[in-house]
Amino acid sequence: MLSRRQFGGVIAGLPLSALVSPPPPWERAADAVRFGLETFSFHDLPPAGDPRLIPTIVKNMVEIGLGECEIMSGHVEPWASYTTGWWVQSRRAPGFQKVREQARHWRLTVPMDYYRAVRKQFDDAGLNIHLYNVNFNETFTDQERDRTFEAAVALGVTGFSSSTVLTEAKRLVPFVERHKMFVAMHNHNNLVDPDQFATPASFEKALAMSDYFKVTLDIGHFVAGNNDPVAFIKTHHDRIVNIHIRDRKRNNGPSRPFGRGDTPIKEVLRLIRDNHYPIRCYLEYEYGSFRFSVEEVKRCLEYCRQALA
Amino acid sequence: MSRVLPAGPGLALVALLALLPVVIGAQVVPGKPDAGGMPAPTVALERGRAVYVLNTCHFCHGVDLTKATMGAAVLLHSPLVGADENGNVIGAVVRAGIPNLQTSMPAYPDLTNQEVEELAAYIHYLRQLGRHKELMGASVAAGDAAAGRTYFAANCASCHAVTGNLKGLATNYDAATLRARVLGPPPPAASVDAGAIAAGRRQHLTLLEKYSDDDVNILVAYLQEATK
Ligand code: HEC
Ligand code: HEC
Repeated sequence: MLSRRQFGGVIAGLPLSALVSPPPPWERAADAVRFGLETFSFHDLPPAGDPRLIPTIVKNMVEIGLGECEIMSGHVEPWASYTTGWWVQSRRAPGFQKVREQARHWRLTVPMDYYRAVRKQFDDAGLNIHLYNVNFNETFTDQERDRTFEAAVALGVTGFSSSTVLTEAKRLVPFVERHKMFVAMHNHNNLVDPDQFATPASFEKALAMSDYFKVTLDIGHFVAGNNDPVAFIKTHHDRIVNIHIRDRKRNNGPSRPFGRGDTPIKEVLRLIRDNHYPIRCYLEYEYGSFRFSVEEVKRCLEYCRQALA
Repeated sequence: MSRVLPAGPGLALVALLALLPVVIGAQVVPGKPDAGGMPAPTVALERGRAVYVLNTCHFCHGVDLTKATMGAAVLLHSPLVGADENGNVIGAVVRAGIPNLQTSMPAYPDLTNQEVEELAAYIHYLRQLGRHKELMGASVAAGDAAAGRTYFAANCASCHAVTGNLKGLATNYDAATLRARVLGPPPPAASVDAGAIAAGRRQHLTLLEKYSDDDVNILVAYLQEATK
């Protein structure tokens, strides 16, 4: 491999046209589906609020060769997502109310330039933030919901992805209609709580509430809940914004390296490619490994590319 | 990269070895931290760490058992885990999983008995390490010596007597040192040949998982009075 100096020596002797930088790796890859990632995949980032956090996400994405992402609110706001109430358990923690009030105050007062500055760092690297992952829940006030939609506009995303519940979806209807921005519901695999997104029926209830409601189908959780992602995508492809790709086992089984669980990743990717569905395919790395995230996400991407080869 | 390195499989092997902890007998000299935390200090514990990390436990419970991501429980302070012996409780929880929460704990029905035991041993090691650190750093308060006497009779008297092998402790040590002696060193216990010493050291590690902050305060108060 050439050192930087040797490389400089080589280019000095070339015509100017050769200096035009090559297209970024995700364009060169010319994948048959649109790959991206959920920033949750990076488990070894600086903590929330650390100024190095966004630059690290950007650097990681460039290194992996992925051009777009769905970014977690915990990677944009200066605190982890759970402090804004997304796990029921976190709402019972001592001191939760106080932290929640602080987060609300921050959301209602932070200038929109804050979000534009985040966006700019992605733009400068030629990356796209396609979705803002905000887990709307009953601890949000209406004012806060409004501000969060404004934040999404400043962040330059096309809509939200959200781990939320049906009762919250009902509250969100006037907001999506007013802001003309979609919220894509993300599933887990709780099969007994009728408020949770886990089954086709739970998604269908939200889809019937507003045209602005869409789906972020997590195919791994879907399979862990013994549902069939291929059948669901065939039926609802026009309402699915993106899928989260992870490989879980059935019967609430664990996440495994891609290809080692029960999730039909290959079939899903081929279905999306062969039917030209405009569904984005986002990697979500969440299985166990001693390797750091960047290296493991590269493996996930390689598996998916092989699946389409 | 401007440095020229020899290529070939030999180099790959050297690189691989450099990443592995160095094994000396049953003890392991820790290597560099990886995505699953610090390498464990013994070969057996390192196998337990592999079960813990390769099954993703650390994403929800943390590499040091202090996290509660996705609504998980803080295993460092879990009484349920405290009641476990050789995986009898941990194994049951992990094999069944905890389904139908907002974000459920997955089920791991495929774990072998050996994997469950190794996993449990590693979790206990992390708890002892974590509690040792917390108890050494805890703010020390005056304890109730009478309560300490009762606690001692129930948990220590099988191996110690205040007028026997612990006699003179309060004269030899100040309160802070006495406290550190009660806790003993952090895990892993250095292996010794003598059976009674080894058993005592193991028991002291187990006690680390059982002590509340107050338990240590009352014990110190009692020993200060009774071992003069
Ligand atoms: C996806 C997140 C997740 C993963 C992965 C996970 N857990 Fe859990 N764990 C949880 C949740 C959630 C609970 C339940 C907390 C509650 O009861 O509210 C839990 C509870 C437990 C408990 C019971 C603790 C108590 O005091 O009740 C044990 C023991 C446990 N987990 C061990 C493990 C082990 C060992 C692994 C890996 C083999 C693991 N967990 C993997 C989320 C997870
Ligand atoms: C199974 C036997 C056993 C039990 C039970 C036990 N210990 Fe020990 N303890 C030992 C042994 C053995 C040592 C010496 C360890 C060594 O040399 O590394 C020791 C060391 C100590 C020391 C250090 C003494 C010194 O001179 O520095 C103190 C203090 C102590 N134990 C207190 C307690 C207390 C308090 C309890 C109960 C809460 C307890 N031990 C329970 C076996 C036991």
